[in-house]
Amino acid sequence: MIEALSAMGSVFVDPYLLGLIFATTILGVIIGVLPGLGATTGAALLLPFTLTMEPVQAIAVLSTIYVSATFAGSITAILINTPGTSAAAATTFDGYPLAQKGEAGRALGVAVVSSTFGGVFSVIVLCIAAPLLARVAYEFRPPEYFALTVFGLSMLASISAGGAVKNLIGGIFGVWLSTIGSERVTAIERFMFGNYDLYEGLSFVPVFIGLFAISELLVQSKMVNKVVNAVSLKAVKLPTKEDYKKIWKTILRSSGIGTFIGILPAEGATVASMIGYSEAKRWSKNREEFGKGSIEGIAGAEAANNSATGGAMVPTMVLGIPGSGTTAIILVGLMVHGLRPGAYLFTEQVEKVYQIFGSMLLANLMFMVMGLYAARLFARVSFVPISILWPIVFGLSVIGAYALSQSLVDVWIALIFGVIGFFARRHGFAVAPIAVGLILGEMVETNLQHSLKMYDGQWWMIFAQPLALFFLVLAFLGLCGPYLYSLITRQKN
Amino acid sequence: MPLHGASERLIMKKKLYIIPLFLTLFSLVVIYLSLQLETSPQMIVGDSMQARSFPIFLMILNLILIGILSYQFSKTYPKEVKLEKFPTWSSILLFLLFYILVTISGDLFVAIPVVMFLMGMVWGQKKLWVALTNAIVTPLSIFLLFDYVLQVRFPRGWLTNIYYG
Repeated sequence: MIEALSAMGSVFVDPYLLGLIFATTILGVIIGVLPGLGATTGAALLLPFTLTMEPVQAIAVLSTIYVSATFAGSITAILINTPGTSAAAATTFDGYPLAQKGEAGRALGVAVVSSTFGGVFSVIVLCIAAPLLARVAYEFRPPEYFALTVFGLSMLASISAGGAVKNLIGGIFGVWLSTIGSERVTAIERFMFGNYDLYEGLSFVPVFIGLFAISELLVQSKMVNKVVNAVSLKAVKLPTKEDYKKIWKTILRSSGIGTFIGILPAEGATVASMIGYSEAKRWSKNREEFGKGSIEGIAGAEAANNSATGGAMVPTMVLGIPGSGTTAIILVGLMVHGLRPGAYLFTEQVEKVYQIFGSMLLANLMFMVMGLYAARLFARVSFVPISILWPIVFGLSVIGAYALSQSLVDVWIALIFGVIGFFARRHGFAVAPIAVGLILGEMVETNLQHSLKMYDGQWWMIFAQPLALFFLVLAFLGLCGPYLYSLITRQKN
Repeated sequence: MPLHGASERLIMKKKLYIIPLFLTLFSLVVIYLSLQLETSPQMIVGDSMQARSFPIFLMILNLILIGILSYQFSKTYPKEVKLEKFPTWSSILLFLLFYILVTISGDLFVAIPVVMFLMGMVWGQKKLWVALTNAIVTPLSIFLLFDYVLQVRFPRGWLTNIYYG
């Protein structure tokens, strides 16, 4: 315990790390306020820049981008009715109406306080829950890991707005991508078509840069003539005593909801903010104010989306199952820097783990300062013409894709997946399930192989393991539960 | 929904089934390719599965999901997908130009500024000098950052040959 606290505290006295997190927070807020450039795209673009850093510094950079960009999406959501990130979509419901009433400063103040509380709350939960879950995860053998990854894949059904079936098809496509290259047990080459650059499989980094950054570039090309109307902002105001009285319960509730949803494999900040908002409305005494500028609505959405960031790090670090698109990139960052996610991370690299947690805590406090004192300045960044911004994203994407393996093949992979991602999104398929599927693919196949070997090819023995059965039942309920429920209620009616 | 006539509905329905058809074709191709994979001797695989089994299993799962998707499509029309505007198609074409330029020059830093400049213009930048400055300064800054700080070597080509000597 003391060891963990001192590791976390060391972040606060390390001048290099402090400077790095400060600079990254500024960058994260800028990325968050730029429409289209969310936390996921930002993390994908920055990942290659962390190559020469120490593991803790690299993950600190990525997790800082995650928390600060998630918060910053609310700035443009409130001021120009355009959520900088999808997680801030629920903030527009009440943030922009309140800003239109001339209370933009108050709206931003509530957003900053709620986000900070949600973020800090989730990091505390992360510090407590992650080691506990790691202890449970020690007992996991291949059947349990197989069932867990199946559960993670089943949760893809609700990862984003694409619709359950489309998300699952995307997830399966991602898992299939993980089979490209040499098969691990037999070394048989699969789907390589003679290209030995693919022998080790598809690199995650270029695929992610393509899916998140380049496909977003093509999506944004539709917005060339979009006009945004900004509302005026003089200064960000901290909530008053009356405001606190009105919102403290909402903040607490949404922080809990957001953290819990974040912990669920493959669920993220966007889902959390929507549920946080609707729960705030359900419990409110002033429901009629919702949609017209309710500060409870802003607090509900913002506390939930930022608390999901810490929650999402729990399955990412303990089980190697990412909770969102951004945590998928952080997971890749961990692997690139030699930190293999899983239970052993918490015994072999415990100091580094808590330094990462400490840097997340610090990032949450830093974006509060930025939000209070520089929101007005950052809001102006969102007016950078897209004809300047997105060519820069193109340059960064191409060089970022090249940098990791210093291979031109990775550049082509990024471009190809950019186009695939764009056409997928054009037809309502989200790209995050593809990314998560790609990461989980190796885990699911390898653990299935090991399980089959363990039980002499008797696959049904997997169902005989209580914990594995528990995860498989959860997966089944996650997939079929809503349909079964609607079927039963329809029959009753 | 804007479509009213029977013939228009038929066209719309045909368009809707393009996605499931494409996905089905993709799954069948993957299954065919998987069946062409070598099989390993029993002593290596043991009680586990052959390399082809997992992709085939995935694609069968995919085919089931495509069936459900088609059923959903037949019940409710998904949103009509509009054709892309000029900047989108031209940006994709610029990726192709990027590939050609890198292949010819062997140099990322010849291709990136050209594509960045053209992309800026296509995306509505009216001031030539702004697009040009952006196309030169950004790649140069990134190059210097990667070269000095991250020590990443870029492929040799027309410009990098001059720099690396």
